[in-house]
Amino acid sequence: MATTDASEPEASEDRPGARIEGGIDAIVIGADADGLTAAAYLGKAGLKTILIDAAAVLGGPIRTRRLAGGVDGVDGEHLAFMLDPEAIADLELYRYGLNFAARRLDTVYFFDDGEMLRLDGDLQNAAALMEGDEDVKAALGEFFRDAMAAAVLMRPAFDAPRAGRAPARQLQKALSQAAASDVRRLARYATASVDDVLDDLFADGPVKTLLTCEAAFRSGAPPHEPYSFMGLIRRYAGEAAGLQGAQAYPEGGCVAVIDALRRAAQGAKVDIRAATYVDKLLIEGDRVAGVMLRGGGQLRAPIVVASLDARQVFLDMIGPGAIDIEFQHMLMRDRPAYASARLQATLKGVAKDEKTRENMMRRIVYAPSPAFLQTAFMDAREGRIPETLMLEVIFPGALDPQAALESEQLLSVFAHPLPFDAAVDDDRREAIRNAILVSLETILPDAQKRLGAVDLSLPSDLAAATGARPEAYAAEAGVMRQWALAGACASAGGIRGLYCCGPEARIGTGLSFAAGRAAAKTALRDFKRGE
Amino acid sequence: MIFPAEDPRLNAPRPTALVAAAASACEANIWTSVNGWSAVRVFTDVNKEYEVAKKGVAIADLGPMARYAIRGGDAGAFLARATTAPASRLEVGESARGLMLDDRGRVIDLAEVSRLSGDLFLLTAPQPHARRLQLALRGFDAVIEDIGRQVAALGVFGPGANDALAAAGMKTPGDSVAASAMVRGVETAARPIQFSALPGVELVFPKEEALTVWERLTRRSGAEPIGLDAFEMLRLESGAPRPGVDFVAADRAQDDEAMTPAELGLAHLAPLDRGWFNGRRALRDAQAAMRRLVTLAIDDESAAAGAEITAGGKPIGRITSWAWSPAARRVAAFAQLSGTMKNGELAAARPLPASGRVSAKPVETAESALERAFLEAQGLAHGPATDFRR
Repeated sequence: MATTDASEPEASEDRPGARIEGGIDAIVIGADADGLTAAAYLGKAGLKTILIDAAAVLGGPIRTRRLAGGVDGVDGEHLAFMLDPEAIADLELYRYGLNFAARRLDTVYFFDDGEMLRLDGDLQNAAALMEGDEDVKAALGEFFRDAMAAAVLMRPAFDAPRAGRAPARQLQKALSQAAASDVRRLARYATASVDDVLDDLFADGPVKTLLTCEAAFRSGAPPHEPYSFMGLIRRYAGEAAGLQGAQAYPEGGCVAVIDALRRAAQGAKVDIRAATYVDKLLIEGDRVAGVMLRGGGQLRAPIVVASLDARQVFLDMIGPGAIDIEFQHMLMRDRPAYASARLQATLKGVAKDEKTRENMMRRIVYAPSPAFLQTAFMDAREGRIPETLMLEVIFPGALDPQAALESEQLLSVFAHPLPFDAAVDDDRREAIRNAILVSLETILPDAQKRLGAVDLSLPSDLAAATGARPEAYAAEAGVMRQWALAGACASAGGIRGLYCCGPEARIGTGLSFAAGRAAAKTALRDFKRGE
Repeated sequence: MIFPAEDPRLNAPRPTALVAAAASACEANIWTSVNGWSAVRVFTDVNKEYEVAKKGVAIADLGPMARYAIRGGDAGAFLARATTAPASRLEVGESARGLMLDDRGRVIDLAEVSRLSGDLFLLTAPQPHARRLQLALRGFDAVIEDIGRQVAALGVFGPGANDALAAAGMKTPGDSVAASAMVRGVETAARPIQFSALPGVELVFPKEEALTVWERLTRRSGAEPIGLDAFEMLRLESGAPRPGVDFVAADRAQDDEAMTPAELGLAHLAPLDRGWFNGRRALRDAQAAMRRLVTLAIDDESAAAGAEITAGGKPIGRITSWAWSPAARRVAAFAQLSGTMKNGELAAARPLPASGRVSAKPVETAESALERAFLEAQGLAHGPATDFRR
């Protein structure tokens, strides 16, 4: 059993080159967006901080990669919609190069029946600017106002789940800020399924379909499940380029956000050590004392922030012998059922007509009907690849002139829901690729003929690149489950000096660094208190 | 060794290995069930059984207790995690008492751990915890086996317990060290246990030997069986809380029901300066106890579970269990108190059948004396037994 004795520190193995390095205030493990954010905060506060990552490239799953077609693509995320404004301001990320090539992206929805609908990127005004029936526009406008107001109320709880606090109490706390007249409606939003909420507000039609898809996209909570509506509230609580609920494309892609964070960390004098593997966390008594590196060296510090998969941190690096049984069970009990796939491909030729060029500068969503969607989730749950998938498509070259190619276009697609597979063989990979391309035909009828090289990225691929477990890249369970896990992770199993901001400490999907900010701020608060 | 709450409404309890022997001796024919197993409440006369345990040799069927054999290189480390007993530091043959706590430091159950050989341990608990133990086992090099259906367990209590075992031709354990052997492929153990202030031995052996062992003890040594009602009197005198009666197990309790070791008066069974155990970090950060389980001596012939305790006219708690104590010639009762009550101060326990108000005093028991000694050794201030706001 790989475990660190909780009460007695293990001596460093007597290997050549093994040494103990002290005089460090804080160690951050994992240089993804949250790890970089936490390190930048700690460094900026004057703490001698070391940032360690097992990979040679920083950024976790978000990284530039030469795709099958020989062009450079960005793995991980392709749009920003959940950026933490507080961290952007605190770390002055605009000064470190963060910029947006496209802000407030409009979305064009494609439906099964061939119809299309465009929604403005500013959701507060989207209903008014939409084409269609006046009654539907009024209902949608009302819905957006309510949902965005709920999202504002819930945002603090989403961004920084309270340590050890049960989901019901997190929810209660958030709702306590609401006006009495709104509490009942907001409580319903928090507990109801997507289907229940939308059935009451909208007749069957494109508006209901697009909202159902937005709520279920990249989520592990199917729209008919209780609490699933909270996924949409979480999405609307995010912001990009200063606008709530909006989507934006950073200049250079999402990897540019990582670059800005890296520069901010370097500006804060953080010592960044890539390709450095942590074997164990050193726990002495009930405190973290540092990390043991592969090869036997030790880095000793009173603060360790882990921006890694919680299972990796607590089960592998600490071991079950020093964590509570209930916490271990919580970490191990849920086997993810759903995942998203990312497909990047080159498309031969360039758009000739103006309307196509305009659409390529938007976010494009294929929104299958709720009935198709339910079947897709059921198939995925059973391990089958659904025939119909939701798609989110962007053309990076159309959004960012720097990414434009000469005689072809880069296409970036997120597809959901797919079954979660910890490992995928070639046949399965081919079947997933084909399913995505079939759904893509709805948006781009001639796509198959024009496609060049196709590059598919699945959770197992991201895990292989980052050294994490594939489960870390599965679709997140519903918000309430995430809250429960995030609350437990935030308390770090009661180990003093240890703070977590890995995937389990985050609520929702997308590039955000709120968990890193929250972990660093808690660490600084405790440090100042002398805890 | 404490029996948990009874489940008398269970329709068809399973027979323990000793049920036939117990039935033949059970003149009163008063039965109940514990953990789904059949258990005798009274064999002949409860007062006589109590006297036998105090002055002679008593035997009791301990089959309803949950028993697990844990084997493997990490068995000690596993038990040191799952219970507060210092399992990994036990020498072969040694036993230790402890508690099972949840991650919030609240008591799930009592536990007793014995090291039978280098990598073989025996865990005995009042209530079954197979699922929890399996969950806790993940990541450890050990296997756990519920041996409750394979073995019989017999408690031999009283001042003459060791003599009785010798008379029956059985191997006796030392004062603190268990004796173990393999019989018919099943580990068997004889280990010393304490019940109330009574020294005793627990014999765990293959169920096929049940009648033989029972007969040997009753015929050769004159040991007499005692039932749960006599046990209850001894338990209350010793100050050992009963799971499901005096406290609700944390894994079944509502938030405000579950209690910490300090609230149960069992702080000595969960020392924070020992190794790590489940729930220790929560105990470290726990606030001072706001209520406490206390043993009271009540000047009356009977009491009632749920009866109110008052001090200075204000209600401060309720009785959780009680029994007549022949030794004290008073009712011995556990009460959960949430207000201060100094030694000697009068309180009222209602509704008592004899009168509206009677005197109730906190008393020191074998268990509370252990806790007091532990707290003194730790340098922690210790006020009166019910001054729990220390």
